[in-house]
Amino acid sequence: MKAVGMGVAHESAKLHVTGTAKYTGDLDMLDVLVAYPVQAIHARARVLKLDIAAALEVAGVVTVIVESDIPGENNTGAVKHDEPLLSSDVMYHGQALAWVIAETDDAARAGAARIKPQYEILEPILGIQNAINAHSYHTEPLRILRGNPDTILEKTTTLEGEILVGGQDHFYLETQASLAFLDEDGCMVVHSSTQHPSETQAVVAHVLGWARHKVSVQALRMGGGFGGKESQANPYAALAALAALKTRRPVRVRLTRHIDMQLTGKRHPMLGKYRVGFDVTGKLEALHLEIYADGGWSLDLSEAIVSRAMFHCDNAYFIPNLMVKGFVCKTNVTSHTAFRGFGGPQGMVLIEDILDRVARAVKKRPEVVRELNFYNENSLDQHTTHYGQTISDVRIGNIWNTLKTSSDFENRQLEIENFNASHPFLKRGMAITPVKFGISFTTTFLNQAGALVLIYSDGSVQVNHGGTEMGQGLHTKIAQIAAQTLGVNLERIRVMPTRTDKVPNTSATAASSGTDLNGAAVKNACEILRERLEHVAAEMLKCPSDEVRFENGFAVHLKQKLEFEKVVMKAYLERVSLFSTGFFRTPEIHYDKVAGRGEPFRYFAWGASVSEVEIDSLTGMWHLRRSDILHDCGDSINPLVDRGQVEGGFVQGMGWLTMEELVWDDTGKLRTFAPSTYKIPTLADIPLEFHVSLLPRATEEKAVFGSKAVGEPPLMLAISVREALKDAISSFGGLEVKLAAPSTPEAILDAIEIVKDAAREIVMSL
Amino acid sequence: MNEIPVSIKINGKQVTASVESRTLLVHFIREQAELTGTHVGCDSSSCGVCTVLLDGDKPVKSCTMFAVMAHGHEITTVESLAPGGVLHPLQQAFWDQHGLQCGYCTPGMLMTSVALLKHNPNPTEHEIREGLSGNLCRCTGYNNIVKSIQQAAGVMSQAIPAAADD
Amino acid sequence: MYTSEFTYHKASSVSDALAQLASNPDAKLLAGGHSLIPTMKLRLASPSALIDVSSLPELRGIRTEGDTIIIGAMTTHRELEFSKVPLLSEVARLIGDPMVRNKGTIGGALAHADPSADYPAAILALNAKIKIQSSSGARVVTADEFFQGMFTTALAPGEMLVEIHVPASVKGAAYEKFAHPASRYAVAGVAVVVHSDGSLRAAVTGAGDHAMRLTKLESEGVSSACKGLVSASDLMGDHFASAEYRAHLVDVMASKALARAK
Repeated sequence: MKAVGMGVAHESAKLHVTGTAKYTGDLDMLDVLVAYPVQAIHARARVLKLDIAAALEVAGVVTVIVESDIPGENNTGAVKHDEPLLSSDVMYHGQALAWVIAETDDAARAGAARIKPQYEILEPILGIQNAINAHSYHTEPLRILRGNPDTILEKTTTLEGEILVGGQDHFYLETQASLAFLDEDGCMVVHSSTQHPSETQAVVAHVLGWARHKVSVQALRMGGGFGGKESQANPYAALAALAALKTRRPVRVRLTRHIDMQLTGKRHPMLGKYRVGFDVTGKLEALHLEIYADGGWSLDLSEAIVSRAMFHCDNAYFIPNLMVKGFVCKTNVTSHTAFRGFGGPQGMVLIEDILDRVARAVKKRPEVVRELNFYNENSLDQHTTHYGQTISDVRIGNIWNTLKTSSDFENRQLEIENFNASHPFLKRGMAITPVKFGISFTTTFLNQAGALVLIYSDGSVQVNHGGTEMGQGLHTKIAQIAAQTLGVNLERIRVMPTRTDKVPNTSATAASSGTDLNGAAVKNACEILRERLEHVAAEMLKCPSDEVRFENGFAVHLKQKLEFEKVVMKAYLERVSLFSTGFFRTPEIHYDKVAGRGEPFRYFAWGASVSEVEIDSLTGMWHLRRSDILHDCGDSINPLVDRGQVEGGFVQGMGWLTMEELVWDDTGKLRTFAPSTYKIPTLADIPLEFHVSLLPRATEEKAVFGSKAVGEPPLMLAISVREALKDAISSFGGLEVKLAAPSTPEAILDAIEIVKDAAREIVMSL
Repeated sequence: MNEIPVSIKINGKQVTASVESRTLLVHFIREQAELTGTHVGCDSSSCGVCTVLLDGDKPVKSCTMFAVMAHGHEITTVESLAPGGVLHPLQQAFWDQHGLQCGYCTPGMLMTSVALLKHNPNPTEHEIREGLSGNLCRCTGYNNIVKSIQQAAGVMSQAIPAAADD
Repeated sequence: MYTSEFTYHKASSVSDALAQLASNPDAKLLAGGHSLIPTMKLRLASPSALIDVSSLPELRGIRTEGDTIIIGAMTTHRELEFSKVPLLSEVARLIGDPMVRNKGTIGGALAHADPSADYPAAILALNAKIKIQSSSGARVVTADEFFQGMFTTALAPGEMLVEIHVPASVKGAAYEKFAHPASRYAVAGVAVVVHSDGSLRAAVTGAGDHAMRLTKLESEGVSSACKGLVSASDLMGDHFASAEYRAHLVDVMASKALARAK
């Protein structure tokens, strides 16, 4: 039986449906202590006095963790060491100034309420424009240049504009959670809901001032991650470890939803300022684009995120002359961070907005202008990106045409025109948008992974690898890869919780790379083991070892077969090693940040989607009538899991662009820090009709078993929903549409008013 | 402390403990009954991951009930759905249809769905959407959750189950 | 998240509840808990005692007496949703989600008087009466007298809301709301009722600091154009919806409700 390519259900499905799957917060320990933060009430201030005595008087309070308790380095920053775990420098509203450690949640909270820090209030910098005005940046500007955009822009038809794309809270249903305790050696064990156990281990070790070999981190599973537990899990793990060291008792840190939303970084709001030049057909000639990201108070991963926004400001389009600059603004809000797409989505929203505007300027349908500008494999110079990477396998043309046909695009467009002509208040709109997403960590050295595969003498197998399971189905695919490579049934394979003492120095499970990297490492380890077993089996079967096959739990040669476990037992008796490491490094990729040139991506994932919406122009309310998706997963390792990723990513992207609104008030306090004010999609919001297909015959030679990464790319399919809303709005005036992101009902009404006003002006000027 | 004896029949078993009157039902279930399938997601009655059944057929959010309010009542949690290890058709359907990813919302989804199908054995897609509108999922995009409930409804009314791949 | 500490009394009867309430002015009545418990978790309320009246049989159920329907205060939204009570069954269906409706009660919601709650607009438009009881007796107030401000009603300390009286039949009634997408509370919810004597009553919730009558619509009657019913300057604006937008939504919701009610 084949394992790879089958729609195998999630490996933890049985545990989930029976309520027996454990999360970090479910792990029980005797005498566990809990923590609650003392939070700053200003966005920028200096703490003059922090008196903890009152908290210590509260029954049940054991201690209060303050800056001076940190024996090692007071830093949890992932890239730059600019994130103190505790500091008297208040950098954002809600920042944790101290943590009360107590026997119960309530005692900890009561203790925290007793601590009243005294502040010297300082002026915060809030919002991207204020940061620009104050020249408040985390890094030097980044830039990528091809051709002579500025010269061309002087000679051709141009449009200028600005688009602000809002941020997004991860809203993983399991909030940040860690449990730390000292083991029998006096070393630290940390269970963390983290996407990056190795970095969590490193940060814990830094903060304790220990070598890393004294810290073990386990990530059992996460109740959702989406990038929000790539670096954001680290401070809470460090805090739990610090408190465990100080109290010599196990300590659990589990944030409430409100505090999680107040403390953790989110998707970066980004402001795009552009000037675009195009010919009369709508073909792009030049683009000058500046992208300003709100990085929040510390750098975190923002530079790489802005880079990815810059890498994806072309989406699927060839732009012959392009200057893109990237800026990471330093402001006094939470430190914005990785979120599914990692800046790519913002870059792509910008170019899709620009193309829609260009199309309306040349009086063409947006999809016509989009298609006109696609990368073209058949033209020698039109399939190289602005950073110099040649795209060897442009799949958008095929996907686009197939999807237009399967979604009945042309006929439905006529129906929409008829509907709109006969409905004064209800308007429908439809759009098709492409996705091209580069796969690899753009920081080249991160593209490595390790595995440790153990075969026990009864023929059962444990697989360890560096990737973490957050629901995306990584462990399921890993089990399939191991089963396929060893030629055994899935039941024999157990994928272990991710632990830093099994595979060291791992990269985050991020950048959609979980299967590409860890799957290849596991395959490597399994191949090494299989080869050893082939020799053993060959002796038993009396045939050359290269004629032995392993399949369905047997070693097979012609008509003879031997049970896998018999070969394994024989290997053991023959003193053949039954365990192996595996390793993978992505070949050929490189990038020079200063020159803005290189091949940062191993390959690209492609897709397209068509969405049709109906808006009520009286209220700004709308609904999604239908979405059609055709997405490229290569040869899918697991179509069931991959379709789940496509559907989930699309809905999450739709939430970001249309309903999830983060509001900070002018004191820097986040006003939307609860599900009663921050709206994520529910069952009521998904398309009434939803057609999702995976691209057939889509082998990707450069990735494991011909598959492609699928975690992030589908999120950007949701740009079709935003563009469909703009299409519907345009039916009130047919002119360019300025729609805010997220496009809340009030924003939609505002956009309708703008096109109506413009239409009236045109009528009056005639 | 205002401790108060509370006795709740949870999954058919009487659980009795002296707890503070402010103890939430979800904590009573997780800590006194030691059933951790019922999760805490938002702690503000918005996300539905803490949903359990009150008196057999009423889904309620256990983060917004004091345990003492359930004194003398029956509570059903996800752990009771597979007596003797035989999965409930809804459990089987969420498994088959990949109606879950991270799994954190799954117990709440299941409990709301159990009640939905009890009251309405053959819900339309619209009724499923309405019925589960109080349960958030951040992973799946909900499409497979709808399919799961449809599969279970089919099985429970002895129709032919839908295939996993449509 | 824990609330602050309190003593819990499960009331054995209305008079027991009232006696408890009289003996402790800081006590609060606990109904479905869906407004009170979240408020207590945030420590915006910290009553020293809770008197649980949610399962008192005398406060539950819906009965008809002559041309009046009498609704017990502890009737849940769910029970109303599946009832035949004019307008209120329609309103109940739009509250929260099924789990909220299983616990939340109409009496609890009215006594809480959240400015964005759905019932108040309907109660005003129905010209319902509210029966209030205290240890010294009972009184009945009109809906107009009942809602007094943000989270403020005619209920005095020591009093409890026991019944809601609504007309058993009306000529037409409708409730239209623009729900906050996250909380599902009304950003603008308009109820319009054409009573059996032909009179028209309309009210709005969500837009101002408490539910109020739409006098302009009422005076214009069934032919109202529903334009400029409320002034933005009288409304609340917040980060989700500006006062101008709310004023506009009131007109739109009123026009939809009127079209269905007349």
